[in-house]
Amino acid sequence: MSESKQNRFLQYMREDRLPHIFCPGCGNGAIINAFLAAMEKAGMDFDNIAMVSGIGCSSRIPGYLDCDSLHTTHGRALSFATGLKTANKDLDVVVFTGDGDAASIGGNHLIHAARRNINLTVICINNNIYGMTGGQISPTSPKGSFGTTAPYGNQDTPFKLAELVAAAGATYSARWTTVQIENLVLAIKEGLENPGFSFIEVATQCPTYFGRKNKLKTPTAMAAVMKANTVFKSAAERMSAKELEGKIVVGEFANTTKDEFTENIDKISVEKSGKKTVINSAYETEL
Amino acid sequence: MIIIDEELCKGCHLCLFMCYKNVYAISPEINKKGVQLPFVKFEERCTKCGTCEVACPDQAITVDLPENWWMKEGNDVNFNPNFTKGKK
Repeated sequence: MSESKQNRFLQYMREDRLPHIFCPGCGNGAIINAFLAAMEKAGMDFDNIAMVSGIGCSSRIPGYLDCDSLHTTHGRALSFATGLKTANKDLDVVVFTGDGDAASIGGNHLIHAARRNINLTVICINNNIYGMTGGQISPTSPKGSFGTTAPYGNQDTPFKLAELVAAAGATYSARWTTVQIENLVLAIKEGLENPGFSFIEVATQCPTYFGRKNKLKTPTAMAAVMKANTVFKSAAERMSAKELEGKIVVGEFANTTKDEFTENIDKISVEKSGKKTVINSAYETEL
Repeated sequence: MIIIDEELCKGCHLCLFMCYKNVYAISPEINKKGVQLPFVKFEERCTKCGTCEVACPDQAITVDLPENWWMKEGNDVNFNPNFTKGKK
């Protein structure tokens, strides 16, 4: 097979580990492609990217990409990423996180990273269920959906992550699904270029657990239901709360500019001590 | 030209769902992994938009991009004359 006939995303991946562990029809693989396509479109250097992930199906993504990656404890991916970005602000830090990782155990880290407006790109893969541990109900499961821990249907109202992060003060926040893949590529590109906290929530299909419990056993059925339930943000503003029940509102929820966290640290250290770093060390000249 | 890697494909058939022009069809035969592979049935319909390439979760589909003849002229990758009927 000649060079031009290889898949254009395989050059960024650890080919010895393929095919990957994700179930047939899982959206995570499509999100890898969307991220790589967005990175190519934004014209970024792949060697300068550092990836941080927590625990979960989606957090296995950096293991398949041929770049510097950090696989951290459950829910603390954003804390590690904050430290990484503050220590070396030239890196482009990308966080891959799932809905259980970002919204449930790492919920406080998420809203405080958004409040500080630190220059990270967070791709939150929302499959509405805890896929890796066996189909438990997660904070983003829709009302009335079934899971291992909800045999009579989930009674709680789900989190709206993109709106939550936009309200917490992020400068870029968007939600797309894996069905609208072109918009997703453009949103990730915008997030990578944005100097500030960028949050992209991707609603994805989980045919193995969410689909099996909710009578949508094939990936195609899940994708068709997701496509039918999608409402654009401009249309959703004119709809009532009852009409919006069970719908996925897609679009951009925030796109502003604000002071950035690492810039603020640099500014205050120059103001108070006259140098760019506040570290007191014998190896200061090497830093 | 569209190439499907039989080693990587897991048979989710999302390419059939995502393709705007219905280029793909499901093979009636089962391969050694127990997967009914998709195959390219109507290649003349393909506009080489590359959606299946991005949407394939297993990186199994390759759309041969050097055949995209509009890419040679300028650098405007997003303009595909097959979609817009030649109007920009």
